[in-house]
Amino acid sequence: MLTFRKSDLQTMIDHCTAGLPNEACGMLAGKAGKVEKIYCMKNAKPGPDFYEMDAEEQFRVMKDIRDAGLEMVGMFHSHPTGQAYPSSVDVEKAYWPGTQLPNYPDAVYVIISFMDRAKPVARGFSIEEGKVDEVRLSMP
Amino acid sequence: MSIKVRIPTPLQKLSNGKAEVECSAKNITELLDALEKDYPGMKERLSEGGKVRRFINIYVNEEDIRFVNKEETALKDGDSISIVPAIAGGCGLLWNAESENRRKR
Repeated sequence: MLTFRKSDLQTMIDHCTAGLPNEACGMLAGKAGKVEKIYCMKNAKPGPDFYEMDAEEQFRVMKDIRDAGLEMVGMFHSHPTGQAYPSSVDVEKAYWPGTQLPNYPDAVYVIISFMDRAKPVARGFSIEEGKVDEVRLSMP
Repeated sequence: MSIKVRIPTPLQKLSNGKAEVECSAKNITELLDALEKDYPGMKERLSEGGKVRRFINIYVNEEDIRFVNKEETALKDGDSISIVPAIAGGCGLLWNAESENRRKR
């Protein structure tokens, strides 16, 4: 389970909406499955079907998270025209190139679908050991 | 010459569980060879044909080597190397050679 505030979800939706028609992305920092900070980040290779975090920004944000005593508990990206479910590209890129070793084993991949732009749908997943499992997103 | 290298989680099986190792090298190409010598299999995971793999980012201190001198980026005593897998993906509905080429332009 990944827990965050409703306002965090709105922050992610607003960032992804601003990025339309392209995909948008960001990182989730926190502890023990609880999100404490959202990083809205640049899509360095923007397209309606692809995202890649800017390498320098990714490094800077990961350092910021460590310096704050937090962990990268997840990351988010949008699917402007696709379902809120990891695509084959999402799964492939979750692993070290050419292997099935997860790059970020404990991270939750949050995907926000804009198939219905008036009602974006967010779901969370773990991608490990060749399989995709849904992780419940909780907003108490 | 001692250079610290932070090993990412997926490669720590190759580094006997170590999250940080030390080695000597004058540039990234030599670093890949030095890592391979101490931790066989590491070079193939990190590079292909002598070039750092796409979707793998290597930083010297806090600088991405792609914006310095790529594999020829010089290293000096005390440098800290970070190996970080890129975070990427996407819905992939339009994922094909055409869209990949469009991004490269």
